[in-house]
Amino acid sequence: MLFFSYFKDLVGREVTVELKNDLAIRGTLHSVDQYLNIKLENTRVVDQDKFPHMLSVRNCFIRGSVVRYVQLPPDGVDVDLLHDATRREARGG
Amino acid sequence: MSILQTQLKNKKQASSSSSPSPSPSDKPRVLDTAEIMVAGLRFFTERSDNTTAGEPVLDVDNGEELMHVQPAVSIVLGNRSPESPGTLYISTKQVIWLSDTDRAKGYAVDFLSVSLHAVSRDPEAFPSPCIYTQIDTGDEDDESESSDSESDETLDLSKIDEMRLVPSDPNQLDALFEVFSECAELNPEPVEEDEQEHNWIFSADQSGLETGLDDVDPEWDSQTNFSTIGHSNGNNDLARNVLELQINDQRFEDAEEMESNSSGDHQ
Repeated sequence: MLFFSYFKDLVGREVTVELKNDLAIRGTLHSVDQYLNIKLENTRVVDQDKFPHMLSVRNCFIRGSVVRYVQLPPDGVDVDLLHDATRREARGG
Repeated sequence: MSILQTQLKNKKQASSSSSPSPSPSDKPRVLDTAEIMVAGLRFFTERSDNTTAGEPVLDVDNGEELMHVQPAVSIVLGNRSPESPGTLYISTKQVIWLSDTDRAKGYAVDFLSVSLHAVSRDPEAFPSPCIYTQIDTGDEDDESESSDSESDETLDLSKIDEMRLVPSDPNQLDALFEVFSECAELNPEPVEEDEQEHNWIFSADQSGLETGLDDVDPEWDSQTNFSTIGHSNGNNDLARNVLELQINDQRFEDAEEMESNSSGDHQ
């Protein structure tokens, strides 16, 4: 549940979601659920030549299981906090 | 017993982070047969009656419920041309489109295979506002161009990785999007249950018992007709004595199996 909590804190921020089919969508994180399904708003496709259809999309729902990476805003990453959280999670607490 | 197993399992899980013992997640995920079969888009023709007004037959035994019905929806598969208006049915498990004019025509895709859905309103990308979906075909290196050149006669649904649903009333799009989202959340990836571990512990107890029997008589394994070993050699009394001895020991419940085993022991 660590990353669920982490992504919840990023709601409202700009992220890039890279899917397993190589599609990368940039947008404002609208919401995330426990399965790491992601809703984005004001989306745009990073590689527009490859996926021209997605240009028209303003909001989208991405299935958590098809996400390969989420690129985060640099200032949205508190490394120390994440460190502690992962250690706590690893201890099972 | 089951409580003990659960405690053992919890203990194992709690310690797995610090010890190198394999946790359940390290095992290769066992795929449901159902899961393999539902990848991508498929034809759907099971209607509740044989008219075009018939609703799709859902898997109600497994809890599937109809969540939304949207009449007057066109469907666009890949880059093919739109197909005559039909009715969109959204259930807790899948998206189904049935033609209004041809009762033999219908498509369905499970939410498990819907990678992404979105509201598309840009007329440059597509003439009509629609729900845009990407479908996971389960094909890793698929060429998206391949489906484009195919004629209508050779429609290969397994290669369709995009689907558009065009309601005649664009004002329905946001509501449709929400229903899609709600149902997608009802269908997380099937997670490997811990049942395997339960089975393992359970069968370990059993196999421990059987191993004990085998240890008593190594030859027993090779005896296929195990019920007559003692009797055929006239060792009934001996066999019975040993049998009683072991029953008193309360280790075994299966007298039939035991008799053969114990008699074999004294050959």
